[in-house]
Amino acid sequence: MNHSERLAFRSGSLLRISAIARNAFREAVRDLVLYNLVLFVLLLTSAAIFIGALSGGQERKIIVDLGLSAMLLFGVFIAIFVGVGLVYKELERRTVYAIFAKPVGRGEFLVGKYLGLCLTLLVNVVVMGVGVSIALLYVSGGWDPLALRIWPAVLLIYVQLMILTGIALLFSSFSSPALSALLTFFVFIIGHFSADLKGLAGSMGSTAARWLFAGLYYLLPNLANYNFITPAAHGQLPAATHAAAAILYAFVYLAVIIATATLIFRRRNFK
Amino acid sequence: MTLRNRNSHDLPLALTVLLGLLSVFGLSHWIDSHRPAADPNVEEERLYLTSNTAKRMSLGFNGLAADWYWIRSLQYVGRKLINHPDEVQLDDLGPLNLKLLAPLLDTATTLDPDFMEPYEYAAVVLPAVNVEDAIRITKKGIAANPRAWRLYQHLGYIYWQQQDFKAAGETYSQGAKLPGAPSWMEAMKARMALEGGSRSTAREIYLRMYEQAGDNRVREMAQRRLMQLDSLEERDALRAVLKAYQTRTFRCPSSWREIEGPLRAMRVPVNAFGSPVDPAGTPYLLVKESCNVDLDRNSKVPYQ
Repeated sequence: MNHSERLAFRSGSLLRISAIARNAFREAVRDLVLYNLVLFVLLLTSAAIFIGALSGGQERKIIVDLGLSAMLLFGVFIAIFVGVGLVYKELERRTVYAIFAKPVGRGEFLVGKYLGLCLTLLVNVVVMGVGVSIALLYVSGGWDPLALRIWPAVLLIYVQLMILTGIALLFSSFSSPALSALLTFFVFIIGHFSADLKGLAGSMGSTAARWLFAGLYYLLPNLANYNFITPAAHGQLPAATHAAAAILYAFVYLAVIIATATLIFRRRNFK
Repeated sequence: MTLRNRNSHDLPLALTVLLGLLSVFGLSHWIDSHRPAADPNVEEERLYLTSNTAKRMSLGFNGLAADWYWIRSLQYVGRKLINHPDEVQLDDLGPLNLKLLAPLLDTATTLDPDFMEPYEYAAVVLPAVNVEDAIRITKKGIAANPRAWRLYQHLGYIYWQQQDFKAAGETYSQGAKLPGAPSWMEAMKARMALEGGSRSTAREIYLRMYEQAGDNRVREMAQRRLMQLDSLEERDALRAVLKAYQTRTFRCPSSWREIEGPLRAMRVPVNAFGSPVDPAGTPYLLVKESCNVDLDRNSKVPYQ
């Protein structure tokens, strides 16, 4: 393959990935995934109206905590339950045969599906972030700098959801949806206990156990890196270097996950 | 199945649903009204989770969990206040037996160490319940937020309340060194050393608390304490007027009107009936038996 052929192949690959991503996004919209936004708006509106009476004047902090936590929680559910069905649904409906009959690589298929769900999550997170900002302006009765200062935390939540979607995709590339959902949920929980894993590794007497826990610490995603909801509620911004390193970590980790998922998926026999 | 047949089958089911719902409503009402009184010892059981466990289990939702514990501590105090027959001040809630308040505030501040309001609440409310807990939580706040001068103000207030004027002065002085700390913090050190137990120091402390408080109930409490200090000074002045009258006439005045002139001369606020009124606008009581003045128990000015 010469240089111009390689370029044409690459641009063709990008087109195929973007077509699969657009379809995955449309499918999520058709499956009414974005309806969770209605629930979110109801939650936030009622919180904005009623929380003032309960919180002893802490309604701004509680709006941010509640809004961003709901954003993370709803996002986790979407990433897990939609993510594990991305591949499985195509196999079950046998549409995967029609797709692979065309010049579409299995890796392109997985990346396209992944980006489609990431796009869905992006729309979700952005709409929710705007909702939290509007709720803050409402409870503050005017301009509130917190409405802007929450956005770095929103970005970190989105990056965390991207990792979780990748994990769900990885499990769904070789396992059933139920098991994939369970395993992804476990990774989400363990990912928030990373510091404990490291501490456990340090405190173990046996070398094997120390290596095991240290290995798990580096193998599993450290989702605690993306916890910035609580400081954001106090108007704090993450250190730029920390945020940049966390985002870089996410992209490297995602490259590893998607490459692994592709390796497994390439070996699957659909007959 | 014809439409008529189907309707005749549906009717018993619909009736069952309706009667069932009515029964559920009636039974719930009966159970609620016949519920045995809760054992306060069981109700006051320790929290299931320690603050550190709660933090570990919060999975990144620690801010929200801290809010929940904060709201729970406010409701816990509020419920006790509602059930208490007498009016009590926020800084004098000892009789309410608030055993759970310290663990609730401790958990809220462990989950979110930057959350300032629980520290303020701990400094104001907890000393009357358990002063060690109040000091421990405030010191924990200082360790987590070493640049927050307001926490030093809270700790100084706790020491001042315990009449440990030396510790209070040192705490105010430490806080005064922090960036952004107001100049009165440094002045407090000298004031504590010279006149720690005086009314003027108390006035300064409550005035600063009123100015700085983030919580409306704390501000309201400080305002009431300031009213109480004003009232104490007014009562001293009224006693002096009564004593002068008694020395001159060998008897106590039968009503405030008899000494209206000296009262006006002293610029004590007087109502339309000639009675001096306290800072909340309630007339003072003239105790003829001892020729003294007293605060009306219905007044908004704290009695103690």
